[in-house]
Amino acid sequence: MTQKEEAWVGLFLGVPMLVIPSAVAVFIAYDKGLSFAPVLMFTGTVMWGGFLWFLPYIQRKFHKDKKKIIFDERDQLIHKKSVMASYVALWIYFVAACVTTWCIVGPNGSISVNVMPLTLIGGLVLFNLVQGLASLIQYGRGGEHGR
Amino acid sequence: MGDNNLSNQIRRLRFEHGQMTQQQLADKVKVTRQTIIAIEAGKYAPSLPLAFRLARTFGVPIEQVFEYDKNEV
Repeated sequence: MTQKEEAWVGLFLGVPMLVIPSAVAVFIAYDKGLSFAPVLMFTGTVMWGGFLWFLPYIQRKFHKDKKKIIFDERDQLIHKKSVMASYVALWIYFVAACVTTWCIVGPNGSISVNVMPLTLIGGLVLFNLVQGLASLIQYGRGGEHGR
Repeated sequence: MGDNNLSNQIRRLRFEHGQMTQQQLADKVKVTRQTIIAIEAGKYAPSLPLAFRLARTFGVPIEQVFEYDKNEV
Protein backbone atom coordinates (compact mmCIF):
# COMPACT_ATOMS: atom_id res chain seq x y z
CA MET A 1 0.00 0.00 0.00
CA THR A 2 1.48 3.34 -1.05
CA GLN A 3 1.35 6.43 1.11
CA LYS A 4 -1.30 7.93 -1.17
CA GLU A 5 -3.49 4.86 -0.75
CA GLU A 6 -2.97 5.09 3.01
CA ALA A 7 -4.16 8.70 2.88
CA TRP A 8 -7.34 7.58 1.11
CA VAL A 9 -7.87 4.83 3.69
CA GLY A 10 -7.33 7.37 6.45
CA LEU A 11 -9.93 9.64 4.94
CA PHE A 12 -12.64 7.13 4.08
CA LEU A 13 -12.10 4.63 6.88
CA GLY A 14 -10.66 6.79 9.65
CA VAL A 15 -13.19 9.59 9.57
CA PRO A 16 -16.26 7.29 9.68
CA MET A 17 -14.57 5.30 12.47
CA LEU A 18 -14.46 8.51 14.46
CA VAL A 19 -17.77 9.97 13.29
CA ILE A 20 -19.93 6.89 13.96
CA PRO A 21 -18.97 6.44 17.66
CA SER A 22 -19.24 10.20 18.07
CA ALA A 23 -22.74 10.21 16.62
CA VAL A 24 -23.69 7.31 18.90
CA ALA A 25 -22.29 9.25 21.87
CA VAL A 26 -24.39 12.28 21.02
CA PHE A 27 -27.49 10.15 20.59
CA ILE A 28 -27.08 8.30 23.89
CA ALA A 29 -26.13 11.41 25.83
CA TYR A 30 -29.10 13.44 24.73
CA ASP A 31 -31.68 10.67 24.36
CA LYS A 32 -31.01 8.60 27.50
CA GLY A 33 -29.49 11.31 29.62
CA LEU A 34 -26.45 9.23 30.53
CA SER A 35 -23.76 11.68 31.50
CA PHE A 36 -20.94 9.10 31.44
CA ALA A 37 -21.75 7.85 27.95
CA PRO A 38 -19.81 10.53 26.06
CA VAL A 39 -16.72 9.77 28.13
CA LEU A 40 -16.99 6.06 27.34
CA MET A 41 -17.58 6.81 23.68
CA PHE A 42 -14.65 9.18 23.68
CA THR A 43 -12.45 6.38 25.04
CA GLY A 44 -13.79 4.06 22.36
CA THR A 45 -13.15 6.64 19.68
CA VAL A 46 -9.58 7.12 20.83
CA MET A 47 -9.09 3.35 20.77
CA TRP A 48 -10.43 3.16 17.21
CA GLY A 49 -8.18 6.06 16.25
CA GLY A 50 -5.22 4.32 17.84
CA PHE A 51 -5.99 1.14 15.94
CA LEU A 52 -6.07 3.15 12.72
CA TRP A 53 -2.66 4.61 13.46
CA PHE A 54 -1.30 1.09 13.91
CA LEU A 55 -2.73 -0.20 10.62
CA PRO A 56 0.26 0.87 8.46
CA TYR A 57 2.69 -0.76 10.91
CA ILE A 58 0.70 -3.99 10.91
CA GLN A 59 0.54 -3.89 7.12
CA ARG A 60 4.31 -3.36 6.86
CA LYS A 61 5.00 -6.19 9.31
CA PHE A 62 3.23 -8.69 7.10
CA HIS A 63 4.41 -7.14 3.84
CA LYS A 64 6.14 -9.79 1.73
CA ASP A 65 8.56 -7.54 -0.14
CA LYS A 66 10.18 -5.80 2.82
CA LYS A 67 13.08 -4.43 0.75
CA LYS A 68 10.78 -2.34 -1.42
CA ILE A 69 10.75 1.31 -0.41
CA ILE A 70 7.24 2.49 0.44
CA PHE A 71 8.06 5.56 2.54
CA ASP A 72 10.74 8.09 1.65
CA GLU A 73 11.75 11.70 2.27
CA ARG A 74 8.94 13.11 0.11
CA ASP A 75 6.31 11.11 2.02
CA GLN A 76 7.88 12.30 5.26
CA LEU A 77 7.66 15.93 4.12
CA ILE A 78 4.04 15.53 3.00
CA HIS A 79 3.14 13.87 6.32
CA LYS A 80 4.84 16.67 8.27
CA LYS A 81 2.99 19.39 6.33
CA SER A 82 -0.32 17.55 6.67
CA VAL A 83 0.05 17.26 10.44
CA MET A 84 0.97 20.95 10.60
CA ALA A 85 -2.17 21.87 8.63
CA SER A 86 -4.23 19.65 10.94
CA TYR A 87 -2.87 21.40 14.03
CA VAL A 88 -3.71 24.81 12.57
CA ALA A 89 -7.25 23.62 11.78
CA LEU A 90 -7.55 22.12 15.27
CA TRP A 91 -6.58 25.39 16.96
CA ILE A 92 -9.00 27.37 14.80
CA TYR A 93 -11.70 24.82 15.67
CA PHE A 94 -11.09 25.11 19.41
CA VAL A 95 -10.98 28.91 19.30
CA ALA A 96 -14.19 28.93 17.24
CA ALA A 97 -15.82 26.48 19.69
CA CYS A 98 -14.92 28.70 22.67
CA VAL A 99 -16.02 31.93 20.99
CA THR A 100 -19.25 30.40 19.67
CA THR A 101 -20.15 29.02 23.10
CA TRP A 102 -19.43 32.40 24.68
CA CYS A 103 -21.57 34.18 22.08
CA ILE A 104 -24.49 31.76 22.44
CA VAL A 105 -24.52 31.19 26.19
CA GLY A 106 -23.09 34.52 27.26
CA PRO A 107 -20.45 35.37 29.89
CA ASN A 108 -22.67 34.35 32.84
CA GLY A 109 -24.28 31.28 31.26
CA SER A 110 -23.46 27.62 31.79
CA ILE A 111 -23.10 24.57 29.55
CA SER A 112 -23.28 20.81 30.12
CA VAL A 113 -20.00 19.03 30.86
CA ASN A 114 -20.97 16.63 28.05
CA VAL A 115 -20.00 19.35 25.61
CA MET A 116 -16.33 19.02 26.52
CA PRO A 117 -15.71 15.39 25.43
CA LEU A 118 -17.93 15.98 22.40
CA THR A 119 -15.81 18.98 21.46
CA LEU A 120 -12.70 16.81 21.76
CA ILE A 121 -14.27 14.14 19.54
CA GLY A 122 -15.08 16.83 16.97
CA GLY A 123 -11.46 17.95 17.16
CA LEU A 124 -10.24 14.41 16.52
CA VAL A 125 -12.52 14.04 13.51
CA LEU A 126 -11.40 17.39 12.12
CA PHE A 127 -7.73 16.51 12.66
CA ASN A 128 -8.13 13.25 10.77
CA LEU A 129 -10.13 14.86 7.99
CA VAL A 130 -7.71 17.74 7.41
CA GLN A 131 -4.69 15.43 7.55
CA GLY A 132 -6.19 13.10 4.94
CA LEU A 133 -7.24 15.93 2.66
CA ALA A 134 -3.91 17.78 2.97
CA SER A 135 -2.01 14.57 2.16
CA LEU A 136 -4.16 13.89 -0.89
CA ILE A 137 -3.82 17.47 -2.16
CA GLN A 138 -0.04 17.31 -1.82
CA TYR A 139 0.19 13.90 -3.51
CA GLY A 140 -2.02 15.23 -6.29
CA ARG A 141 0.35 18.12 -6.84
CA GLY A 142 3.31 15.73 -6.97
CA GLY A 143 2.32 14.54 -10.43
CA GLU A 144 1.40 10.94 -11.10
CA HIS A 145 1.99 11.32 -14.83
CA GLY A 146 5.15 10.51 -16.68
CA ARG A 147 7.13 7.32 -17.12
CA MET B 1 7.64 21.34 -2.57
CA GLY B 2 8.88 22.08 -6.07
CA ASP B 3 11.29 24.80 -7.08
CA ASN B 4 10.66 26.64 -10.34
CA ASN B 5 14.31 27.64 -10.57
CA LEU B 6 15.56 24.08 -10.47
CA SER B 7 15.72 22.00 -13.62
CA ASN B 8 17.05 18.48 -14.05
CA GLN B 9 18.32 16.05 -16.67
CA ILE B 10 17.19 12.85 -14.98
CA ARG B 11 14.95 11.71 -17.81
CA ARG B 12 17.73 12.13 -20.40
CA LEU B 13 20.31 10.47 -18.16
CA ARG B 14 18.01 7.51 -17.57
CA PHE B 15 17.70 6.88 -21.27
CA GLU B 16 21.45 7.28 -21.75
CA HIS B 17 22.01 4.64 -19.10
CA GLY B 18 20.44 1.72 -20.90
CA GLN B 19 16.83 2.91 -20.89
CA MET B 20 16.74 2.74 -17.11
CA THR B 21 13.18 2.73 -15.81
CA GLN B 22 11.94 5.02 -13.07
CA GLN B 23 11.48 2.01 -10.80
CA GLN B 24 15.06 0.85 -11.34
CA LEU B 25 16.37 4.32 -10.56
CA ALA B 26 14.10 4.57 -7.52
CA ASP B 27 15.39 1.24 -6.19
CA LYS B 28 18.99 2.36 -6.65
CA VAL B 29 18.57 5.64 -4.78
CA LYS B 30 16.16 4.12 -2.22
CA VAL B 31 13.05 6.19 -2.85
CA THR B 32 9.63 5.44 -4.31
CA ARG B 33 8.87 5.66 -8.03
CA GLN B 34 6.41 8.46 -7.28
CA THR B 35 9.28 10.56 -5.93
CA ILE B 36 11.29 10.06 -9.13
CA ILE B 37 8.21 11.08 -11.14
CA ALA B 38 7.79 14.22 -9.02
CA ILE B 39 11.48 15.15 -9.31
CA GLU B 40 11.50 14.66 -13.10
CA ALA B 41 8.39 16.80 -13.43
CA GLY B 42 9.96 19.53 -11.30
CA LYS B 43 7.25 19.15 -8.69
CA TYR B 44 9.62 18.16 -5.91
CA ALA B 45 13.09 19.49 -5.08
CA PRO B 46 15.07 16.57 -3.59
CA SER B 47 17.21 16.79 -0.50
CA LEU B 48 20.96 17.22 -0.94
CA PRO B 49 21.79 13.59 0.00
CA LEU B 50 19.24 12.31 -2.52
CA ALA B 51 20.61 14.65 -5.20
CA PHE B 52 24.10 13.23 -4.58
CA ARG B 53 22.80 9.66 -4.73
CA LEU B 54 21.14 10.40 -8.06
CA ALA B 55 24.33 11.95 -9.46
CA ARG B 56 26.45 9.01 -8.28
CA THR B 57 24.01 6.53 -9.81
CA PHE B 58 24.56 8.15 -13.19
CA GLY B 59 28.30 8.62 -12.54
CA VAL B 60 28.23 12.34 -13.24
CA PRO B 61 28.76 15.48 -11.12
CA ILE B 62 25.67 16.87 -9.43
CA GLU B 63 25.76 19.95 -11.73
CA GLN B 64 25.05 17.72 -14.71
CA VAL B 65 21.93 16.36 -13.08
CA PHE B 66 20.50 19.52 -11.52
CA GLU B 67 20.82 23.08 -12.71
CA TYR B 68 19.75 26.17 -10.81
CA ASP B 69 18.54 29.23 -12.72
CA LYS B 70 21.60 31.40 -13.44
CA ASN B 71 19.60 34.60 -13.00
CA GLU B 72 18.74 33.70 -9.43
CA VAL B 73 21.16 34.45 -6.59
